Amino acid sequence: MSNKSKGRDGAPKKDNFTRNLVVVVVVGVMLIMLVPTLLANRTDVSAAVPSSVSVDDGYGIVFNKDLKDVPNIDIYEDFQCPVCADFEEINGKYIEELIAQKKARVVFHILSFLGQNQGSANESAQAANASACAADEGQFLPFHKLLYATQPQENSGTWTPTYLNDLAASIGITSQKFSTCVTGTEYAGWVDNVAAAGAENNVNSTPTVFINGKEIDRETQYFDPAAFKAAVEKG
Amino acid sequence: MKEKLFERFEVAKPWIGLLARLVLGGVLFVAGYLKVGTPSKSQMAVRAYEMLPVSIANFMGLALPIIEIALGLLLILGAATRLSAIFGGLIMFAFIIAIAQAWARGLSIDCGCFGGGGTIAKEDTRYLPEILRDLGLVMLALYLIRYPVTKFSVDRTPQPAEMEKNDVE
Repeated sequence: MSNKSKGRDGAPKKDNFTRNLVVVVVVGVMLIMLVPTLLANRTDVSAAVPSSVSVDDGYGIVFNKDLKDVPNIDIYEDFQCPVCADFEEINGKYIEELIAQKKARVVFHILSFLGQNQGSANESAQAANASACAADEGQFLPFHKLLYATQPQENSGTWTPTYLNDLAASIGITSQKFSTCVTGTEYAGWVDNVAAAGAENNVNSTPTVFINGKEIDRETQYFDPAAFKAAVEKG
Repeated sequence: MKEKLFERFEVAKPWIGLLARLVLGGVLFVAGYLKVGTPSKSQMAVRAYEMLPVSIANFMGLALPIIEIALGLLLILGAATRLSAIFGGLIMFAFIIAIAQAWARGLSIDCGCFGGGGTIAKEDTRYLPEILRDLGLVMLALYLIRYPVTKFSVDRTPQPAEMEKNDVE
């Protein structure tokens, strides 16, 4: 690289030491940064997995896992995404009914990209981890609902482990196991795996909803309860 | 008159080059820096262009910010100016193609140039200003490829005789 440009610049082998040093250092640091970045974004199969998570479903939290002959709904969301809160408000109750009445197989993929912010803690990941801890308590759906109902400003620093523990306590999740799980972000590896699986599935925004593997129409079927219901029933 | 202008340009040339280096390098560096800590968003931004197979797009999402930072640093310091400008210009040219194809195909995405990215509402797209900005940066790269001798660069300044040769090239 440096030799080539040396020839082009028409400069003979004279004092180009500084230039070469800078080039070597910059390119070297780039390669050193690239390797761990690539490794960190691979799926970590040894990461702890919360209950009701299905590895085959992209590490999503699954309800009615073994139900056949019903629509399969994949929901990709980020707890910090305001539009996801809208979606939850509009269709959340219906989805919970589908689950309770065993009329659909529902997979929640909790992404965390909105919390990725230069120099601050990833609050989406904190919330995602806490929701997995709640899944262990059998309380995923109520906690999921509560997070959206009380959703703060994006990356405002509100969702700390302490805050999430208090929030969960308000709906009766008070076990020591839950609080340790939240404080120690025990499912951090799982959160990364969900993100990696979402990336492999080409999910480029939240919420993204697939019914039987096919994305529903963003313009018409997400925020109209009747249209969403029709899309689910059609399968 | 014409000769006088030419002389003035001769004096200004390395200074314009310095400015070009700092602007192109600065933009690349800042763009890379703002994305390097947000890998999921960056991957999402590349995927949203729907140009590359998903696995390659995800790789690019991780690699691009680092490449941008490296090129930005090289240009700011003026190390291997011509070669860095060639790569910087090529990257900007690739961005223009990517944005233009997204526009032409009617995708509604954020360019994700300085972080963010992904699918957005149709009325929020800003394809034309993004393309014009990148076009301007390609111009700066072309200037540096043509006149790689600039002020305050770690590249060794050629002797006057060499400089002439360099210009003819």
